[in-house]
Amino acid sequence: MAMKALDIYKLLPKTNCKKCGFPTCLAFAMKLASGKVDVDLCPDLDEQTRELLGGATRPPIRLVAIGAGERSFTVGEEFVLYRHERTFYHQPGLMMQVADTWPEERIEGVVARVRDETFHRVGEDLSVDGIAFRWESGDADRFGGVVGTVEACASVPEVIIADDPEAQAAALAHCGNFQPLIHAACADTAEAMCDLARKYGCALAVRAGDLEELKRLVGLCRDRGVENLMLDPAPATLRDFLARSVEIRRRAVERTDPDLGYPVVFDTVPLGLPDAATALGILKYAGVIIIDELGPASTMAALTLRQNIYTDPQKPIQVTPGLYPVNAPTGSAPVLMTVNFSLTYFTLLGYLEAAGIPCYLFIVDTEGMSVLTAVAGGKLTETLVADAIKTTELENRVDHRVLIIPGYAAPLSGKIEEETGWEVRVGPGDAAEIGEYLETGWEA
Amino acid sequence: MTSIDTVLASGRERLDEEMDALEGSVGYEETAYALPVTYAVTGMAVHDAASAREAYAASGSSVLVAGECLAAAGYAAEGGEGEPYTGFVPDTVLRRLGYSLVDGSIAGIGLVAGSPDDADAAAAICREMQEKYLLTFLAGGVIKTLTEAGVKVGLEYRLVPLGSTGMAAIHFADIIARVAMMFGGVQPGDTDRLLNYAAERAKAFVIAFPGLEDEEVAVIDGFRVLSIPILTPEGYEGGEWIRVPYLEAVREGMERRGIRVNVVAIPIPMACSPAFEGKSIRKEEMYVEFGGAKAAAFELLRVRPADEVEDGRVEVIGPEVGDLEEGSAVPLAILVDVAGASMKKDYEPVLERRIHTFLNYGEGSWHVAQRDLVWVRLTKDVVRRGVAIADLGRLLASKFRVEFPDLLDAVQVTLVTDRERVEAMLEEARAIYDERDERIAGMKDEDVGTYYSCTLCQTFAPNHVCIITPERPALCGAITWLDAKIAYEIAPAGANQPVEKGELIDPVLGQFEGVNRFVKKASHSAVDRVSLYGMMEEPMTCCGCFECIATILPEVNGIMIVNRDYLGDTPLGMTFSTLAGTIGGGAQTPGFVGISKGYILSDRFLQAENGIERVVWMPSLLRNELKGRLEEKLERMGIPELFDKIADETVAVSVEDLAEFLARVDHPALAMRPLI
Amino acid sequence: MSEEHNPEPGNRILEVRLGATKAEGGTRERVYTVGGAGTFPFLGAGPAAGHPPRIALEICDDTRTWSPIVLREVGDLAEDTGAWAAAAETTFGADMVRLSFTSTRQRGFDDFASLGTTVEEVIGATKYPLIVEGSTEPAIDSEVYRRIGEAAEGERVLLGTAEADRYRSVAASALAYGHAVVAQTPIDINLAKQLNILLHETALPPERIVIDPYTGTLGYGFEYSYSVMERIRSVALQGDADLARPMISSAIDSLNVKEVREADPETADEVAIRWEFYAAFSALIAGAEIVCVRHPGTVALLREALRALLEGSHPQEEAYGDESA
Ligand code: SF4
Ligand code: SF4
Repeated sequence: MAMKALDIYKLLPKTNCKKCGFPTCLAFAMKLASGKVDVDLCPDLDEQTRELLGGATRPPIRLVAIGAGERSFTVGEEFVLYRHERTFYHQPGLMMQVADTWPEERIEGVVARVRDETFHRVGEDLSVDGIAFRWESGDADRFGGVVGTVEACASVPEVIIADDPEAQAAALAHCGNFQPLIHAACADTAEAMCDLARKYGCALAVRAGDLEELKRLVGLCRDRGVENLMLDPAPATLRDFLARSVEIRRRAVERTDPDLGYPVVFDTVPLGLPDAATALGILKYAGVIIIDELGPASTMAALTLRQNIYTDPQKPIQVTPGLYPVNAPTGSAPVLMTVNFSLTYFTLLGYLEAAGIPCYLFIVDTEGMSVLTAVAGGKLTETLVADAIKTTELENRVDHRVLIIPGYAAPLSGKIEEETGWEVRVGPGDAAEIGEYLETGWEA
Repeated sequence: MTSIDTVLASGRERLDEEMDALEGSVGYEETAYALPVTYAVTGMAVHDAASAREAYAASGSSVLVAGECLAAAGYAAEGGEGEPYTGFVPDTVLRRLGYSLVDGSIAGIGLVAGSPDDADAAAAICREMQEKYLLTFLAGGVIKTLTEAGVKVGLEYRLVPLGSTGMAAIHFADIIARVAMMFGGVQPGDTDRLLNYAAERAKAFVIAFPGLEDEEVAVIDGFRVLSIPILTPEGYEGGEWIRVPYLEAVREGMERRGIRVNVVAIPIPMACSPAFEGKSIRKEEMYVEFGGAKAAAFELLRVRPADEVEDGRVEVIGPEVGDLEEGSAVPLAILVDVAGASMKKDYEPVLERRIHTFLNYGEGSWHVAQRDLVWVRLTKDVVRRGVAIADLGRLLASKFRVEFPDLLDAVQVTLVTDRERVEAMLEEARAIYDERDERIAGMKDEDVGTYYSCTLCQTFAPNHVCIITPERPALCGAITWLDAKIAYEIAPAGANQPVEKGELIDPVLGQFEGVNRFVKKASHSAVDRVSLYGMMEEPMTCCGCFECIATILPEVNGIMIVNRDYLGDTPLGMTFSTLAGTIGGGAQTPGFVGISKGYILSDRFLQAENGIERVVWMPSLLRNELKGRLEEKLERMGIPELFDKIADETVAVSVEDLAEFLARVDHPALAMRPLI
Repeated sequence: MSEEHNPEPGNRILEVRLGATKAEGGTRERVYTVGGAGTFPFLGAGPAAGHPPRIALEICDDTRTWSPIVLREVGDLAEDTGAWAAAAETTFGADMVRLSFTSTRQRGFDDFASLGTTVEEVIGATKYPLIVEGSTEPAIDSEVYRRIGEAAEGERVLLGTAEADRYRSVAASALAYGHAVVAQTPIDINLAKQLNILLHETALPPERIVIDPYTGTLGYGFEYSYSVMERIRSVALQGDADLARPMISSAIDSLNVKEVREADPETADEVAIRWEFYAAFSALIAGAEIVCVRHPGTVALLREALRALLEGSHPQEEAYGDESA
């Protein structure tokens, strides 16, 4: 069970010595309780307290880093089973596979895509995170050769999929220093794999279809000095993965089974159904998802889903405030004001684009609040609108002085008019009606 | 004048005789419910005389069953009467009627039976029923009376001529029985559920005119078991029949069965919509203004006995707009009288505040402030279009009805523009305001058995539940106990639900069994117990909208309060927003609690931690805002010196400085039992 | 944190039956039961697994606002609602058709008679249970839902859509003609609950309600819908009877988003299918019992995925879409 701030405080030295970087012990306790800092920051704890507090406040799932350099990423450090309970913090890495039996061009094709392909959405560049090398040839040298060739032309995070320590060694000789994920150790190979992981300081995945066996492997590896572990529950079907991944996450966040407190790897390739498996991995707690060569359509959808699921539910995505031209407007086009809550923006944008009416979307900064909440909470005010008109130089962009505001902002219409000198019209409350409103009701 | 009591006996007798004499087959066509009333009451599907008698016996000699069997026997023998009479209404048509009833396009159903002496009276009743969205069934001579007077009848006119005799009234009952079975899931033979369904849902009444045969009277009287009131404007007396003047028959019937018409359009020459709410009216645009600084004005909403409020009545006392010069400032009293069975005096102030919103909905009308500070304007534009002061009254009357359909049955508005009268009434109004304030201020938690919840914030704080009591307003500061109570009355399925406080578990912490039970359910089992008056043990959850946060400062054994508007640092070492980020989201965090400003002044304020005497720090902003009221409270408590012992950021922002200050002023918290 | 993930044993999602066989007064050759689960989706086995989810293909009677990508794909079928519906079952492999009366969305719509005719046509052309969507304009709701309900009398179709401020006509139609109702609320668990209570007051039995918590499009607020579905399922399993109803999900704007609309014609189908699939599949994982899509290609993809998720948890016939009479 996680501890409350006050319970933690009771165990702290209560000297307010500030060595942890916080002005008071209570402030530190608050941070600890939310899992945002490590207990080690307070130097004045005895061993027993440190352990107790560590166990209760450290993230129940270990943070594991994959790759080195710009595109490296971390997974783990999650706290909940459902995003609405708090949020999911570290999105899974999507690793597109290449096999060492493939012709060179095919491998090159995948590598180029992983390296270069990005989709731009909501102010973010989305891309596949790295490459997974699969050992199929049975020839360790060939495997090493393929890894070496790719390594020379792409610096992206990697997974090395080979259950044979020799093949692993051959590959790691080329890329070990870039912290790839070693996939995967089983009972027979655990020892050798651990040695490799230690040698290169890489994360290591352990693989077993049974949770007890997974725990045993974890223990084994930890005993051999490897702490950065990941779990591959070796699913044979989507149903298997769902059941095992949920169980692992549940036991981890409930802190009933610390040996399962590691991020999960999901190798989707053997299962077929690439789209379903990728989506399932994103939704249900995978930290690394090994994917087949998904087409661009699938990739874009998968990355978008990941972006959605890993949005903080308590902090909606915000759109940058400003003036957005829609359907190539001219100076006489209507100006529609709304807030920078992403859902409002996108819904409205969708309807406007669909209606094909040239106009300006004028987005003011309500810190991501919806119109209704912003009006109720006093975030949307006439001064805010007036300031935004100035910063966007709206007066120079259009040749009229008419502002259409959302239906739910009607209570502010008079005040906005007074403050800005613009004529304010109240538009519909429902974005779906905007097309009709503009067609029938708007004349500057 | 016929005495019901006398006729009933002979009517029953005759029904008995006719049942005994019944022969041959008995039944309707185009229905899956045999003889619907009989079927619903007894579960028996009657087809012939023998089974009819059996069912009649089984029903305990129900007059409705007898009436139905006899009518159906006639059908089986000779078929229906034919044009213009509809006779028995087939299932398919009935389904449509039932649809319209559930759908709301028919507000209710009425039966007009007998042969009225006065054709005009009958026609007026039917017209009123049409206007009120009622579907009217006709049985007996009334049909002829109406058609001869030129009234068109037929389903399309919502006047359904069932049959030429009063006995056709039985079809009114078979309709209700079938609606209960089709729509209400009432199983044939389940009399209890049938009667329940009728009592709760049958929006039906009967208006009986003279000229009914004794057995017809008996059958119609039988409708009463279905909770159908029988009103009679002429011809009958006694029994359970209700005498009414014919002009009031429809209103009486609707009222008795709670039938309401949804008013849609407001008959005034100005548009009315929330879209106009924020429009202000500048001086140049204004035709006339009321109140403000230039003339006395006030508004007062009061609940009145039903017979003193005539729904929709609007009166202007004093000059109308036409008598006023452009640009003038005029006194105004807005008096809204309301009546309603569940309307309580306590709700008056909350409803009164809606006058502001409603008047602002009008295009061209504008209203600010409340009570005796109101200020109202009308634009030249709307006055030119014919809007008069009376229209503001009409707007209010209908808006109140539309927005509070379950609460208000009648609304009448009086607008006084006569200076002398307004000034005279003003004193009276002020006395009422004072009285209200005292009542609300004096309301104690122990005076009520029910608190209210709010779960609006669950959209982003999934397990958060606010419990709102008279002495602990919601942490967002937006909802008082009374607000929540009324919100519940208006929308019983809404976000504010009643919470029976139940057994008292701990008077100091403010733990109640009922509250705990409620919170557990509403928080989806995330929270088991809540202390209403404390912050150290199982405090209320925090969603994120709190006006202030109260936290403990263990070093000084005190409590600090920080409000949302204060952006600086606090002795705890966290700003409001970092603090809010850590404790929000709907979790319980002992030692930390979100509160409203109003709660700080309450006698129940964190009483488990010694209340206000424990408070050692608050930002100057908040301190100044509360100053007057807080000083008054401390005065009352006999500790006026405490106010100056509460530090603010000008005195200390670190806990060390705070400790020093508190020691210097000898703050009582230092000597209290330790918080931890 | 909370104990939401520990459903209390014994709590189940209510079962809702859709479609009626001849013996029950309809003409369907298959009927479905949805709901019944006592666990989170695809985690249970045996009775706790409930009934398998269903895939619906959406079609419409007025194609002017329908996605051109879908129209291209279905070709002439779009001109013949009955044939389109038949193809949905036979060619495209959907469990059910969701017929949307888009004609009623145009301003001044008054061809009410056509609604009944189209419903009859689609009933005649199909064998599986149906979902029918009426108007969204309160002024014509009464007429529209009466016509639809009447024309489908006895077939126990799923009628959409009831909302908090306009549910009476839909409920009345369901009560009068024996149908079930889609109850939609805008991504809010408490509003969903309130609407169920309002519907209850019309005497509509709870086992005739399917909740639609509203599904935002992938990339455009889908996460809100995903979480609200998880929350509804979660509190339902903890015993909140007002929410223990099956859910329906349809990301209706999927094919209108920029990514899909602006896809180049060569890959447009691919993009459309993926955009629908990722949302619908995720909805299944979050607890939706009926998912609706518009591109025929999405149906096949979902079918395969569903098979892999259900493996071993349901009797063969039921899992793969046959609960014949
Ligand atoms: S370092 Fe430890 S003792 Fe010092 S203030 Fe931080 S928590 Fe308190
Ligand atoms: S903070 Fe206010 S709005 Fe939110 S739940 Fe509490 S009372 Fe309701």
